[in-house]
Amino acid sequence: MTATETKTTTTNGRTDGANGVHQIGRSVPRIDALDKVTGRAQYTADLHLPGTCYGAFLRSPHAHARVVSIDTSEAERMPGVVAVISAASIARDLAIVVEEEMHAARRVLSLFPNVGGKVTYHGQKIAAVAAATKELAEEACERIKVEYEVLPPVIDVREAVKEGAPLVHDETKPVDGLDHGPFAAPTLFNIAGQNHRNEGDVDAGFREADRIFEDTYVIPRAHQTYIEPQSTVADVARDGSVTVWTSTQGHFAVRSNLANSLRIPLSKINVIGMTIGGGFGAKFGGIVDTYCVLLAQKARRPVKIIYTREEEFLDAKPAPGAVITVKTGVKEDGTITARQAWALWDTGVGSGGCYATNRVKGVYKIEHFKVDAYDVHTNKPAPGAYRAPGAPQATFAGETQLNRICAAMGWDPVEFRLKNMREGDQIAFKETLQAVADRAGWAKRQSKTGPNEGWGVAVGEWTNGAGPASAVVSVHEDGKVHVFYGLMDLTGTDTAMAQIAAEVLGVRYEDVTVSRGDTNSAPFGTASGGSVVTFSFGNAVKRAAEDAKKRLLELAADHLEVAVEDLELANGRVSVKGNDESLVTVAQLGQMALRSKGGPIVGHGSFASEPSATTTAAQIVKVSFDPDTGQVRLRKLYGSLDVGKALNPMACEGQMEGGLVQGFAWGLMEQMRYAEDGRNWNPGLLDYRVPTTLDFPDIESVMVEMPTKNGPFGVKGIGEPPIAPGVACLVSAVADATGVWINEVPLTPERVLHAIKANGKK
Amino acid sequence: MRQLIELNVNGEVYPIDVEGRTRLLDALRDKCLLTGAKEGCSTGDCGACTVLLDSMPVTSCLVLAASAVGKQITTIEGVAKGEALHPVQRAFMDLGGLQCGICTPGMIMTSIALLEENPNATRDEIRYGLQGNLCRCTGYDKIVDAVQAAAHEMDGRRRGTPRVETGGNPAMAGPLQADTTGGRSPGAR
Ligand code: FES
Ligand code: FES
Repeated sequence: MTATETKTTTTNGRTDGANGVHQIGRSVPRIDALDKVTGRAQYTADLHLPGTCYGAFLRSPHAHARVVSIDTSEAERMPGVVAVISAASIARDLAIVVEEEMHAARRVLSLFPNVGGKVTYHGQKIAAVAAATKELAEEACERIKVEYEVLPPVIDVREAVKEGAPLVHDETKPVDGLDHGPFAAPTLFNIAGQNHRNEGDVDAGFREADRIFEDTYVIPRAHQTYIEPQSTVADVARDGSVTVWTSTQGHFAVRSNLANSLRIPLSKINVIGMTIGGGFGAKFGGIVDTYCVLLAQKARRPVKIIYTREEEFLDAKPAPGAVITVKTGVKEDGTITARQAWALWDTGVGSGGCYATNRVKGVYKIEHFKVDAYDVHTNKPAPGAYRAPGAPQATFAGETQLNRICAAMGWDPVEFRLKNMREGDQIAFKETLQAVADRAGWAKRQSKTGPNEGWGVAVGEWTNGAGPASAVVSVHEDGKVHVFYGLMDLTGTDTAMAQIAAEVLGVRYEDVTVSRGDTNSAPFGTASGGSVVTFSFGNAVKRAAEDAKKRLLELAADHLEVAVEDLELANGRVSVKGNDESLVTVAQLGQMALRSKGGPIVGHGSFASEPSATTTAAQIVKVSFDPDTGQVRLRKLYGSLDVGKALNPMACEGQMEGGLVQGFAWGLMEQMRYAEDGRNWNPGLLDYRVPTTLDFPDIESVMVEMPTKNGPFGVKGIGEPPIAPGVACLVSAVADATGVWINEVPLTPERVLHAIKANGKK
Repeated sequence: MRQLIELNVNGEVYPIDVEGRTRLLDALRDKCLLTGAKEGCSTGDCGACTVLLDSMPVTSCLVLAASAVGKQITTIEGVAKGEALHPVQRAFMDLGGLQCGICTPGMIMTSIALLEENPNATRDEIRYGLQGNLCRCTGYDKIVDAVQAAAHEMDGRRRGTPRVETGGNPAMAGPLQADTTGGRSPGAR
């Protein structure tokens, strides 16, 4: 199988589709673009329900402390305050009597710390207030009196695993440690989860090697920094049924989380997913919605909570940091004999990260591979997903080290990768790397490199998920098509779905409308994350459209008095093959259907799961650095991605570019910093720097299309992989420019200068 | 201290009551119910709240409502003239200059002001002019493409050359009420 490389400029494929031109593969504008450029799109914060009151939180000023007392009485007495909730009030409201009930209520009781219990990170919620205005709610929070007994925090994972480190959760049991490797110890502490993987025999593999390299890579926590903060509006009716308007990637996920944590029957919760202002993995609920519903239950009025940017940094779900040690054996002939990784993931008070360590293996043929990885508790908030969760961190370690090996051995990093890459059905590792190397002119890069300039390359891999999805496609009496489902549009997927329905039903994209149902009205659908959507909902919409098409053809066959097999559907009409005269339009069929035995044309489609295919993102960067200031500048950026099939090339490029910039930014400037006392050091956009227009150059994107059997029209899930290679790519380019391998990011000017001085280079 | 003020927004007068400390952003969103300007930070760092004050782009989270009295305020809602989109709006749609759209109102307001001042802005000048507006979705490339395309389009109009078709979506060129339900949820009141 060969990959077809699509040269992509933004105006490509802009055909109008009127003459039997395909509706997939067109770079049509987003279906919601008009609402978004005119300010009409409704985000959660834009809702103004009559009688709304506003929620605010009291948060812990300490990273680690015991709560000695909480006194909410003054806040409760304030005029304008309609509800105050804390651990004590929840326990009172539950009026728990029996043991079983206690167990079921565990989750709601854990929403706030109890008196006698602990706060475990700076910014943790202690209590919440709803009041007539936001200012009043904040003022009431300030009037809540809390006494703390401050405890020493633990911030660095390498300290947290050691004997004697403060325990973040008192109940965490020590686990048996490793007798080898960078953090060998009989016992490890603060362990939240572990992942051990063993393929082949690494010791034998290392014995075969001519050279062995071992490096430790350190990457900090990063915040997804969606521009729309977490936000929810909740209202509770007299009968206790709950309506929630929220910014989420999965309104069904929010519903089940609310049902579980607040013990409300699923059928009594309706979640309305509003337009989402960015999520990147962090908007699956639980951060504000649960509290908003609790306040609304008490207030009996709509309650609105909009996080501030500071709250985002203090108490959301950022990507975990990691310390990853990688050991790799190679032979002089350029093959890899073995690879081993040890990792500590900084998962704060939660868990989730260590499984991604397996990605250190990369896309290469490595017979002997071993991983020992741990999630480690520290006094920081629990982590969440950020685009391809864990991939940027693991790829940073795996790919940077390959580049260092290539530099030490005198090998070309692209050729070395091509030689060692796995091959397989429906995967295009080599084609994708080759495509970006060709676009960047990699082979001739030396001739394009000035002093203090350097090049880097890296490859990331990702396999999209699959999940339950369903859709209804109807053909209306004016010949227009409507798609209805419960998909949250995070990345432009409504547009892709409209294109799929149009393609199947032989109408133009412009003749398709899409609406998203709330959880009461829409058939179930998985959340928008894990690159599942275009794959899963795409299949469901395609099946629903095919179902509707079947009805259309049957009606047409009846009308034209021919067999279904003799008909073709295109350009908004059904005609008899080989006889252009004999035809009926989709609009006419839509009208006929109303009077037909079967009634209006409605197609149904559902999907649960299919094996999905792996995709690859390869990136190349040229950087320059200023030896006086240490400032690194990106000069040229190239990215390629195996998209399977580009339903909408412009939208694919948008995903590639957005993801690429997020990856590089993590390597260049982003880091959540914590002071020694555990307090978040940079909870604002002035100190937590995300890229502006000035930080990045133009990006050249190349799409590779290696279709997968199971995706609709061959598409693969593409939202996540472009974030994976950036950190490694950047660090390697800076090493190429400076001669120094800096194994800790971000590459701030101070860090770069310091590293160069320490190495006596330049 | 509550006071009654009149704001002139998009050519209409809004009599509203505010406190001395009420920010222009809140006055627009909560009092005038013009929710196009967005709040991303409240510290002047993200640009999502950008509106024009007498043609000057300002971050409305840092402006007091009372200080905008007597000035012409333009928000994203006032950019299209009837059904006709501003070239910057159309270019953002056609060239993929938006994804989640939360930064878009601010981006468009800054872009309009930028092109007003420098109609022949180069890519670098566009990047320079947009540095105060953060976008986390697009990586900025397609935003710069859009502003550049809009500049060409506006330049063409000034010279009287025919409008260059950028290949828009006919279904969307219609009235602003066009059924693009992707962004609105059926259950919203
Ligand atoms: S909200 Fe005004 S600049 Fe961010
Ligand atoms: S489009 Fe989402 S922040 Fe710009």
